[in-house]
Amino acid sequence: MANSTATTAQSGPPSSVAGNVKPALMQLEEIELSFGGLTALNRVSLDIRSGEILGIIGPNGAGKTSLLNVINGVYRPQKGRILFQGQDRTNYRPHQVAAQGVARTFQNVGLFKGMTTLDNLLAGRKSFIHTNFFLQALYWGPALKTEVAQREKVEQIIDFLEIQAIRNTPVGTLPYGLQKRVELGRALAAEPKLLLLDEPMAGMNLEEKEDMSRFILDANEELGYTIALIEHDMGVVMDICDRIVVLDYGSKIAEGTPDEIRNNPDVIRAYLGTDEN
Amino acid sequence: MIFRENGQYAATYAKDMRIFRLREDRVAVAVLLVVAFVVVPLVANDYWLSSIFTLFLIFSLAALGLNLLTGYCGQLSLGHAAFMAVGAYAAFNFAVRLETPVLFNFIGAGLVTAAAGFVFALPSLRIKGFYLAVTTLSAQFFIEWLFVSFSWFSAGSMMGAIDTPPMRILGWAVETPRDKYLLTLGVVTVLALLAKNLTRGEIGRSWMAIRDLDVAAEIMGVRLFPYKLLAFAVSSFYAGVAGALYAFCYLGSVEVTAFELALSFRLLGMVIIGGLGTIMGSFLGAGFIVLLPIFISITVAAFATRGLTDFLSNLELIVFGGLIIFFLIVEPYGLARLWHTTKEKLRLWPFPY
Repeated sequence: MANSTATTAQSGPPSSVAGNVKPALMQLEEIELSFGGLTALNRVSLDIRSGEILGIIGPNGAGKTSLLNVINGVYRPQKGRILFQGQDRTNYRPHQVAAQGVARTFQNVGLFKGMTTLDNLLAGRKSFIHTNFFLQALYWGPALKTEVAQREKVEQIIDFLEIQAIRNTPVGTLPYGLQKRVELGRALAAEPKLLLLDEPMAGMNLEEKEDMSRFILDANEELGYTIALIEHDMGVVMDICDRIVVLDYGSKIAEGTPDEIRNNPDVIRAYLGTDEN
Repeated sequence: MIFRENGQYAATYAKDMRIFRLREDRVAVAVLLVVAFVVVPLVANDYWLSSIFTLFLIFSLAALGLNLLTGYCGQLSLGHAAFMAVGAYAAFNFAVRLETPVLFNFIGAGLVTAAAGFVFALPSLRIKGFYLAVTTLSAQFFIEWLFVSFSWFSAGSMMGAIDTPPMRILGWAVETPRDKYLLTLGVVTVLALLAKNLTRGEIGRSWMAIRDLDVAAEIMGVRLFPYKLLAFAVSSFYAGVAGALYAFCYLGSVEVTAFELALSFRLLGMVIIGGLGTIMGSFLGAGFIVLLPIFISITVAAFATRGLTDFLSNLELIVFGGLIIFFLIVEPYGLARLWHTTKEKLRLWPFPY
């Protein structure tokens, strides 16, 4: 099933991939990560293809967040390679990864709580600002011009996410659902080539989940961002993801379309357990 | 409130991003500046100019520097008094040995102090929080020891005692308390404006991002170490200039004990009471710590009768301590936040719905 597609994508550079399979934006090859004696990721290989929404699922402790941390450069894998747009960037540091166009949200809201919504979103545009210290101290000329340009960009995202009313509110005082939305906004502000979402719907009610799903789909379809998301709500994952990767105990146990995953015996065993042994 | 902000729409982002968006605020600040630059020097006597206004401004500047580091970038420092000392002695050495212009001395003092801050910031690569605070404590002890032990820094005099030489800026002899007040005010105004600009731009956002959540900051593209070093350097620059002003415009003759650990704690107290992460808070905090004891003692002295002086001097401390606790309970985020919430409430007053 999914193995065939996975091997095609790995066998060569993205341009050589034939047929209707989209080229891989990011390729993880045989990633191994362990903390002391504890193996967090065990020879995990997967592709994130341009323009898709990839779901990463698995029971608690399966290594999903560790995988995102490896992609972000927070953890360095002991073995394996990471290719981004065909180029090896295995040992990049987090800020280098960010400069390449990878943005991220966190499992338990990772906002800058003391800053306003506007400042949080502007912080997301860090990679686009290149003015020097003295111009910024004077807030003059190019520095002012860049600030205004970033503000314009950020206002578009504020409109997109419908958070105009909380523009100047410190995000620490916002309700949880809105914080999640602002965090998505901060990631979108980076105009990422690859957007990583770590449980974007955690702790939300049905309505908030629907809103968030809509924003994620819009980001994918209208803005054209490639998205990889971790989520526990199977309904959401099956609905919005193009492909799904399943992790269990640090290993990839399945990969494929939602329908394939739903009927995969390994996945069912990982989630429901089995009475065979 | 006595004015309404209705009808003041910012038509461009540049206008929306001004420091004082409301016309009334701009007028208020202009009035404040006129009062500070013109009215105060004309009206106040030498005691008020020197012991109150100049002192207040100098400590505001030092607190502002510490606020950039602690309030904005989230790096605790217990060595800022020592950095002030570096500034004071650097300015002294520039003035005595090189006989360079006064303003150059002050800027040079800031730069030398920035370099010192840079060196003591190196541990911040690996450690943070209380542990970093302890390493900055080492700056405090080391620098005090340095100035006491090596008379080179004080041009030969023992125990680091120095007398500041007279100042002259382009023919303007800065001698009277009024001159010194104006010089201090000018320096503080310019540096406060620069600090505001830094903190509302990309650098300030990166600092605050590091303060609030360094992992997320890094993943959003902020390189932690350079920005922390920058925060230490800028903060030390402010401390250095404040130290130079303290020596030249207030103390006159300086000993190392003027910059002891207690002063570091007072600066930290100003920043916390005034409001971490606000420019205004630095001024309010300095006002609280520097001016309140003076006003309390004036008030107490008014009621003083003979024989009670011991009791009354203790009463001052009790009232001061009590007020610190009171204000921190009322508003843990500092006086600046208190001012902010008051303004928000007054916006809606008298119909708060």
